[in-house]
Amino acid sequence: MDVDATWYLVLSALLFTIGGAGVLVRRNPLVMFMCVELMLNAVNISFVTFARMLNDTGGQVVVFFVLVVAAAEVVVGLGIIVAILRRQPGADADDISLLRG
Amino acid sequence: MLHLLAQAEPFRSPTVDFHAFAPEIVLSVSIVVVLLVDLVFDERGKWATSSIAGIGLLAALVPVLTLAVDGADRSLFDGAYVVDNFALVMKALFLLSGYVTILISARYIAEGDYYEGEYYFMLLCSLLGMLVMGSARDLISIFVALELLSIPAYLLAGWRKRDLRGNEASLKYYLLGVFAAAVMLYGMSLIFGVTGSTILTEIGAALDGGEAPAPIVVVGILFIVIGFAFKVSAVPFHTWAPDTYEGAPTPITAYLSVASKAAGFVALLQLVFIGFLGRSDVWGPLFWVLAAITMTVGNLIALRQTNIVRMLAYSSVAQAGFMLAPFAVAGDIDVDRGGPLAAIPPVVTYLLIYAAMNLGAFAVVMVVARKTRSGELSSYGGLFEYAPGLAVLMTVFIFALAGIPPLGGWLAKFVVFRALLDAGTPAAIVLAVIAAVNSVISLFYYASVAREMWMRPVPDGDRAPIRIPASLGSALALAAAFTLLFGVSNVATRFGDLAIFGFLP
Amino acid sequence: MSEFLRAYLTVAVFGLAAGLLVAAMLGLGKLVQPSRPSRQKRINYESGVDPVGAGFGQSQVRYYIFALLFVMFDVEAVFIFPWAIGLESFGVFGLIEMAIFIVILALGLVYAWRKGVLRWA
Repeated sequence: MDVDATWYLVLSALLFTIGGAGVLVRRNPLVMFMCVELMLNAVNISFVTFARMLNDTGGQVVVFFVLVVAAAEVVVGLGIIVAILRRQPGADADDISLLRG
Repeated sequence: MLHLLAQAEPFRSPTVDFHAFAPEIVLSVSIVVVLLVDLVFDERGKWATSSIAGIGLLAALVPVLTLAVDGADRSLFDGAYVVDNFALVMKALFLLSGYVTILISARYIAEGDYYEGEYYFMLLCSLLGMLVMGSARDLISIFVALELLSIPAYLLAGWRKRDLRGNEASLKYYLLGVFAAAVMLYGMSLIFGVTGSTILTEIGAALDGGEAPAPIVVVGILFIVIGFAFKVSAVPFHTWAPDTYEGAPTPITAYLSVASKAAGFVALLQLVFIGFLGRSDVWGPLFWVLAAITMTVGNLIALRQTNIVRMLAYSSVAQAGFMLAPFAVAGDIDVDRGGPLAAIPPVVTYLLIYAAMNLGAFAVVMVVARKTRSGELSSYGGLFEYAPGLAVLMTVFIFALAGIPPLGGWLAKFVVFRALLDAGTPAAIVLAVIAAVNSVISLFYYASVAREMWMRPVPDGDRAPIRIPASLGSALALAAAFTLLFGVSNVATRFGDLAIFGFLP
Repeated sequence: MSEFLRAYLTVAVFGLAAGLLVAAMLGLGKLVQPSRPSRQKRINYESGVDPVGAGFGQSQVRYYIFALLFVMFDVEAVFIFPWAIGLESFGVFGLIEMAIFIVILALGLVYAWRKGVLRWA
């Protein structure tokens, strides 16, 4: 049994689906946020796999940028979440509904 | 991974065309200056940051003008970064709407209990992302530009830190924003996988050849378009917009609904009309559905709103539907009428006009809220009696948004209808009918604002006049001048026709 | 069985051996040791400081800013590594580019310092 690029792509698709489902189903902002990180990592796997398949460094460069941008998002997101939890300890996405879309 | 990079072909120091980069460099320098001024001065010196930010934006406009006079299309980094007419028109739009945002922010931020230096720092960073977006012709630069413009915007949306509604606005925008970015990135990875390139022109050439496996291309394009549908708040990905617009500080609401939305459309235009041009069979129906439900749902919900900010939020959702319409029919436009690329000028024209009238409407909301401290529609009762000038201006902006001649908005709607009729297919005609019905529906809620201002009594009988600060006054004057100019002349369509891509596959 | 899975067989055998060894050691100890429990002996960290409060304690929220700063500046290093690999071929151009990058990063650190984030209080 050979592990070729398809396996990595399937892994990436699975991780992406798990992350996506997590964002839509879970209500804790921190957990939703972790699910988004999972999706971003799935994207990274996918980009690296394609870069390896195509022998093209462009895909790896994308991963560098995704990593850095994800870190920036973490910093901003945690800042926002801490600001909310300070005022409303234990809040989840359903409690945060002063504004009704 | 590192050894792969080291193996890449030997490095040649690129000849950087600094003229092409000048707007971004000027803006970056002003960002650094704002940060340093904020660090060096204490509370009393903070007012300087707003002036520096405004001057920085106007200074960045100078190289945009010199580049426009020069006229040559420039391509940097193997085509990843392009300065052409389209980029220049959009950069000018971003810089001017950023400047108006700073004008309407100045008093609001200075008088409230807000961080001041950081506010302008974040705003300029976000605008820098938009400038980059105007030129980004590569998946990586589009992604970096999108995040550079979004991440500061997440923070700006929550700038009312002590207000729970502000926090909520920020969190919703943030969670949906990063989710959309992840979806878009996954689409990008698929497109990269099947085309083997991140440069849009090369992607366009590869997809046009038709060798790429169809299902992956469809999923890739679908995910990328959905990612940006969040950014432009198209239904059903609009749920963050009204809440974020209401909870964010009003200047930021104006900024998000104009500049940020325009940036989303710029990215869509570049991706669709350069990268995916040959696959209109995939994105045409997708945009048709998005456009039809966006304008309908946006308008129907706007009818029920009693808060003017929320009403403008839903109205901006509906306007996004009109801007999406030319995308839907682009593939059906005959070659002798300009081909698919003929769908670009209507969108650009609409963006320019929409920016002027929407910024104006929000500026009036800011001024009125200085007195009434309220965003409720009822607080506009009898505005004409104690502030006739403001009432007239608001009427101009509102009727412009509704699309009544001779104000700017009718021209925007006209060019969209013309694009739909140029395509002439049954689907395009149906979309045109939907758009026409929606224009009529929108009249009802726009007119209700006017009725409130002109015919209703003043609530509480408080007829004290409203004092308009100089900065807000100049923002109002700018917006009104452009709204009228765009309506009675063909300036906006001229710019729309100018905004063509310099490099195509 | 393919070559690939056989390589994992070694790992599995090794893991099994490790598990057995731990079980044998602990089991043997259990068999031979005398057992006279008392209250004092059963508390956590028997020979350390007396535990106070519940098992789940929250740490100071202010620490998270240090973590955030670390994440930020740690990740920026990802751009410096590939640059360092090709440092000589990039020449003066690369040096200036990286200097600009690091100066802008350093500005962020100066900002954090001026705002008192780095003070431990």
